[in-house]
This record gives sequence, C-alpha cells and structure tokens, in this order.
Amino acid sequence: MSAPIVSVENVFRTYRLGKSEVQALRGVSLEIHPGEFLAVAGPSGSGKTTLLNLVGCVDTPTSGVVRVDGRDTSALSERALTDLRLRRIGFIFQSFNLVAVLSVFQNVEFPLLLQGEATRKEREQRVLALLDAVGLREHARHRPSELSGGQRQRVAVARALVGRPRLVLADEPTANLDSTTGATIIDLMRDLNRRDGTTFLFSTHDQKVMSHAHAVVRIADGQLQARETLNPAA
Amino acid sequence: MLPATGKVKVLFRIALRNLAAGRARTAIIGTILLVGTLLVVVGSSLVESVDRGMRSSIQGSLGGQLQVYDARSKDELALYGGMGREPLLEPIVDFSRVKAELEKVPNVKRVIPMGIDQALVATGNQIDVALERLRADVRRLEAGEDDPELRRRYQAHQAHVRRMVTLLRDDLKSARALADDELLRERKRDGDDLARAASDDFWAGFERDRLAGLEFLENRIAPQGMEGGMTYVRYVGTDLDAFMEAFDRAHVVEGERVPSGHRGILLGKWYAEEYLKIKNARRLDKIKDARDFQRRRIATDEELRRWVKENTNQLSEIQMQLDPLQAEEAAARLRRGLGSAERDLSRLLVELFSTTDADFEKKYRLFYDELAPLLQLYKIRIGDTITIKAPSRSGYYSSVNVKVYGFVEFRGLEKSRLAGVMSLLDLMTWRDLYGYLTKEKAEEVRALRDQVGARQVPRESAEAELFGGGGPAVEKQRAGRIDEAALLAGIARPARTQDLAAQAYSQEEIDRGVALNAALILRDPSRIRATMEDVERASRRAGLGLKVVDWQKASGLVGQSVTMFRIVLYTAVLIIFAVALVIINNAMVMATLQRVREIGTMRAIGAQRRFVTAMLLVETAAVSLLFGVLGAVLGAAALWAVRAWGGIPATNDQLYFFFSGPALLPALGTTGVAVSLGLVLVVSMLSGFYPAIIAMKVTPVEAMAADD
Repeated sequence: MSAPIVSVENVFRTYRLGKSEVQALRGVSLEIHPGEFLAVAGPSGSGKTTLLNLVGCVDTPTSGVVRVDGRDTSALSERALTDLRLRRIGFIFQSFNLVAVLSVFQNVEFPLLLQGEATRKEREQRVLALLDAVGLREHARHRPSELSGGQRQRVAVARALVGRPRLVLADEPTANLDSTTGATIIDLMRDLNRRDGTTFLFSTHDQKVMSHAHAVVRIADGQLQARETLNPAA
Repeated sequence: MLPATGKVKVLFRIALRNLAAGRARTAIIGTILLVGTLLVVVGSSLVESVDRGMRSSIQGSLGGQLQVYDARSKDELALYGGMGREPLLEPIVDFSRVKAELEKVPNVKRVIPMGIDQALVATGNQIDVALERLRADVRRLEAGEDDPELRRRYQAHQAHVRRMVTLLRDDLKSARALADDELLRERKRDGDDLARAASDDFWAGFERDRLAGLEFLENRIAPQGMEGGMTYVRYVGTDLDAFMEAFDRAHVVEGERVPSGHRGILLGKWYAEEYLKIKNARRLDKIKDARDFQRRRIATDEELRRWVKENTNQLSEIQMQLDPLQAEEAAARLRRGLGSAERDLSRLLVELFSTTDADFEKKYRLFYDELAPLLQLYKIRIGDTITIKAPSRSGYYSSVNVKVYGFVEFRGLEKSRLAGVMSLLDLMTWRDLYGYLTKEKAEEVRALRDQVGARQVPRESAEAELFGGGGPAVEKQRAGRIDEAALLAGIARPARTQDLAAQAYSQEEIDRGVALNAALILRDPSRIRATMEDVERASRRAGLGLKVVDWQKASGLVGQSVTMFRIVLYTAVLIIFAVALVIINNAMVMATLQRVREIGTMRAIGAQRRFVTAMLLVETAAVSLLFGVLGAVLGAAALWAVRAWGGIPATNDQLYFFFSGPALLPALGTTGVAVSLGLVLVVSMLSGFYPAIIAMKVTPVEAMAADD
C-alpha cells in the first residue's frame, strides 16, 4: 500500500466557547490513501467539520499530529499552510461559495491564477476541459447567480479540481441540494475520482450519499466509531 | 503574458467588479469624494487667483514688495487704513539715510518715501462761486470799465445769483412744511434774508450800492448754500516722480503729472467720481455700470429704481450751477434731445432723469453730450488750488493750499475704493500737513519770532517775510473759498501760496526730511523672503531702527483676508474629508463584513492574506482615485467654464480690489489639484486600512460555515 496522503494521529481539538471548553475531537486517528473516495458520516455536532478543517489545513490540532502530503500542519506557518492548500487541496463547500462577481470560467480559473504557474493558454485548456467534464461549457461566461444550485456546485467541483490537487475535501456538498441533484454531484465526483485517481474526502449525514463512497468512517462525539468498506475501488 | 500578472489582474477585476456590484455604496462614497475634490480644486484655485489678484493690486498700487517703517511705532503699518483710523507711526526723521542704506541691498531697486493720512478738504460752494463771478464784474464796473459784453455778463451773473436765492427760498419753504416749530424759529432769520434777497427792491438797491449788496449776499445768503463744505481726502505724500515710475499701474487719466520737484496733488479718480462729482451724474454712471456689468435692470432692481427717483428729486445741484443764459441753453438742448415742447428747465430735467431700461442709454448720452458741457461736473476742477486741513503732530490744524494737477487712477483697479480713494500728494506739502519742521516752516517760525521781537529786524523785511510778498488780494482769485478755510487754520495760515506753488525742490530736498514709511521695489519680486532678511540686516547695521514687513502684512486687514479665505476653505475641506473618511471607512467595513464568506473561501482555496488585503485596498483606492480625478476634472471644467463666461464679475468695489480688475479669471491651481489628489489618496488609504485588517483576520474556516 502506498504512503497515505493524510494521516491523523490521536488528534484532539478543543474550542473555547465563553468559559466552557468544547472538545470537538477526542483522540481521532485516520489515514487516507491516494485514490480513495471516502465519506465521513455523523450527526451534526459530531466533529465531522472539525475533522475536515484539520485535514484541509485551515485549522490545526490542539494535540496530536495531522500530516498532509507528509507535512505536519502544526509545524507550518500560516503562509505555508495557505500554500499547501493552494497546491495540494481542493475545496467544495456546502454553500458553493463562488465569487459572485466572476464568471463561471473565471471562478474555475481563480486557483490557477493564484498558483501563478500556468500560462494563459494552459489555463484556458484546463478550465475548459473541466467545464466539459462537469457539463457546463456553454455556461462559461455566465455569472454564478444565473445558475441553479446543482450547476453552481458543479462549478465548485471544477474549481476544486483545476489546480490538480492530491486531495479534494467536500463538506456536506449535497446539503443544499435536492437529493437527485445531490446524487448527480456525488456521481460526478466519483467519476472524476475514477478517471484521474483524485482522492476525495467528503462529509455527509445522508445515507443515500454515503452509499456512493468506497468507504465510510463514522464519527460521533468527537470519536471515530468504525471504518466500513462499502464499494472497494474498482 | 507572465503568469504572475494574472493574479494582479484578477485582483483588480474582483475589486472593480465589486465596486460596480455595490452601486449604491460606490455612488455615496464617490459623491462625497467628488464633492470634496471639486471643492478643493475650485476653492483653492479661487483663493490662489484672488491671492494673485491682491498681490498684483497691492504691489502695483501702493505696497511694493516690502515696506519699512519705524520699529518703535505704536501701531502696525496699514496701507489701506486700520480699524477706523490711520495707524500711528513714528516718523522716519531723515528719509535720505534710509534710502541711501537700503538702496545698497542688492535686490532693492527703489525706495519710495510715503506718508499716508486723511484730511479735510474744502470743496467750495456754488453760491460762493457765483458771487465771486459777480464780484469780479462789480469790481470792473466800480473801476469805471464799461462795455456791452461786460454789462451782458454782469446781468447774467446777477440773474444767476437771483436764481439761486429763489431756489434756496423754495427749498426752505418745502423744508418748512416738514419741520417742527423750533427749526422754524431758528431758520426764520434765514427765511427773512432769503425773502429780502429775492425781492425786486433788493436788486433795485443793488444797482445803487453794489458792494453793500454783495456784502449782504456773501454774509447772509452764501452760508445757506449747503451743498459745499468739507469732505475727507485720503492721500499718500510721496516723491511723486519716483512713485509714478515705481508703480506703473498709476497713471494720470485727466490733467497732467505734477511737474518734477513741484508741489501739487493728483486726486484719486475714483475719489473724484464718488465724492466730488455732481450726484446726479454719479448716479447715472452707477446705473450704467449696474446695467452693463451686472446685467441689472431698472424695471426689476430696487436700488436702481431708487437712484432714478433720487435723480428726479434732487435737481438743485444742477440748477444752482446754471446762470439764466446757461439755463436757457440747457433747456433748449434738452427740448431738442428729448423732443419735448416743455419750457420749464426743472420739468425737462425730471424728464431727462426719469430713465427706464428702454431710454437709459439715449438719456445717458444726452446728459453727457449736451448738458454736462454746461456744468462743472466735479466740485474740484483740475487747475484749482484746494485747501487741505489736517491735524498736525503738534496738535493744531495744519492747513495748506495745493494745486490740483489731475486725476490719478490705478490700471485694473479703476473701480476699487481701496485703491481709488487714494490721492497722491507731493512730499513737501505732506510734510507741512504732517507738521514736522521743514525748511520753509522753520523760516516762517523764525519770521514770526522776528515779528514779536520787532527790534531785531527792520520792519519792512519782517513784513515781507510774514506775508511773503503775497501781492495784492486780486491775485487770490478764489479768495471767498480759500479764506474761510485759511482762517480756521489759525496760526498755520498758509503763507506765500504763490511762491510755494512755483518753487521746485531738488531731489535732495525731497529726500532729506521726514517720511512715515517707505515702499521697497525689488528687482526680483519673487525673492521677497530673502530680501526681507537682507533689508533687516542693512537696517540693523546702519542703526536705522526699521521694521520690515512684506506687502501682505503692510496692507493690514485687507492683506489678511486671503489668509482668512484660506483658513475657511481648508477648514471646510478638512471637515468634508473627515466626514468622507468616516463614511468611506464605514461603508467599506460593511462591505467587508458582507463578504466574509467570500474572503474566507479565497483564503481556503489558497489566497494569501496580502492578496485579500490588497484586493480591498485596491477597491478603496480605485473608487477614490476614480472619483477624485473626476472631481478634479469637473473642477477644472467648472473653472474653464467660469473663464469662458468672462470670469466672476466684481460686483462691488472690494471685489474689484481682490480680483485686481473687473472680473476674476480663476486659473487652475496646480497646488489645488495636487492637494486634492493627495488628500483623496490619504483618505482612501486611511479609510481602507481598517477594512483591510478585518479582511486579513478572516480565516478560511468562515468559508465552511453553513448557510443559515
């Protein structure tokens, strides 16, 4: 088995809420390997978002070690963490989070501009290829406000993938969509996982959505319950 | 294209599109900034233009670039008058030393001595003038001369006096109708005298004893002619030749320059118009000005209507001047000009002065072309010798006679009271008035002393000294006018007027004596500061004890008005920009808070803090610059439009001075543009600073928050 992209070792994460402390994660350990299509399931308040934040390098653990692409996130500076996110991780948000004033094309292009490596031509090729893949090429010039929820989330998927990340994180990607649309988004993600071998980690509390994953880790009260393998990768 | 420029491009794209998206917010911020810069650009350009105008007015009319005066003076020098009175300055006892020392300073081109003061001047009385003419005729008749021409003039002059008496009697009658009892008693004797002078008996008796008749008229009637008397004149006593050369704005509009080294006065043209001209003529001029330059109309303007009414009511000043022959001629001319059949002159005059917008120009021309040549338009004529009385240093009134050589005007300041009220007086006469001992005065005092101690000197020579060989009284042609003032003058009675008028003084005599202040004309007028220090040093070295001030300080309150304008303007600007700062800051904070999720998303995706900070700063800077430049351009356009429309008209005489001409043509000030854009940048950076900090603190976690 290849080296994990993400390894979480006995991680605790405590938040301070006023005077009381909330333990969002209590000794979580997890490994994610390249090519996985993994779901984190659990009721709200169970700690799934906290886990995703830690894996996504937008947060660091109170104790324990989170390694992303082999690097201990607690040891990295803010700038280095940002750079790590830019180059290694793609994000898909529950509320799509597109930049309202940019067109579909420009939204997808945005991470490439931040990376500042691809030439204009390369960018155009990659953006259009991804828009083809998510089926929104004709909408390239539209603004997000002109699209439906499902279409917006597909733009978000394209944006998450355009920088060729090793890992794509999706926090409740279907929560704001009806179940049919949600299912198509998950299928899209799964297709891309199959096609390019991109690793996906998404959280959900929806049984139907879960069923599309290779494996599900269940989380409750800040602790991982079990890891079930549903559909091993083909 | 370099890949990195894509990042900068998208940063600008997002910032600008956000501005476009938040249209209301952008409009509010933009409007404030636009108004602010517009105000700065227009306001400061106006202030700079006024500053330039004032600089030119003051430097070119009286101030020069620097002024010096005695450092021990109680008051500060105020060339255009201080708070209600002339400032008290210690005299510079020997101006020639000041001149010699200061002319050594390399950048000093000229040193012009000055002494500014106000005094009373006798303006004469129409009855006096008419009686004087009559007396001249009588004198020739008494001397045995007789010819038809003399007879004819004698008759006309006699009739003129009779006419005046009649007019005075009528005036008194109408005054009686309004007056109370006490006034009636007081003026009963006047009325009786007038009744007597108007009667046929009196004039029948006049033929028998002309001198007694004249005596009565001069003593009892002439004092009742109220229109004459005294008026104030403000003058600068100076080296006239040097002054005219140094202040090239000054030029003689009528008459001639005072001959080199001679005594004489050039009356301010504006002063002559305002104080010496027949009131009706002055009002016609003012109506014309108002119509031509301020586009005011008689039909709609209260003030113009009042002037027209005053012109039709107040005719005696004109009628008094005309003897019957002239009155007949005037009536004939007016009948022709007005196309009227009216016989009565006063009705014709009423018709002439009842001007409307339709016939004003025609009647104005009629007045000046036909009537004015028959009149003495100004109470003082060029060539007259006038008597000026001023309280001297020693407390008594000095009184001198001085010949009027002409009217003087300052180019570009023709209508300014501040500049135009000033008359130019020769320095020697000024010194007499000022009461400081001059050579002639010293001699006169010696002569007086000699008279008291008569034994020391032969009687003949004492008399000659005393009366200066003044010649027979006949030569004092306008004795009636001069004597009264001269008598009031007490011991400072003007001696040897004729001699003094003929005497020419050398430059040395002019320089060697007292002055109150001196104007310095610089070779390079831009180096005021540096030269000021040089002059101070020169004064210290030579022990002159002078205080040196620049033109602005020297002009007193007038010069400080620009500073006042500036303070007001910049206070307003400061307030506007402070308000702008608060509002922009507030709006940007709101906008930032609304975009927390978006910013968080960008941060999550991989945008560094400086990217989002820069994005917000670009947003504020862009809106500020856009509207700032727009405001500046609009300001420039507004100024251009004002210029194209002929500038801002000087609607009163003060503005005339500030603008240094009939209109202010504001030029776009580079300072204004620079200051406004600088302010805009500072304000935008300051107001963008806090929102940028907020943006910097947004964590990527914010992006994860679920919709509520």
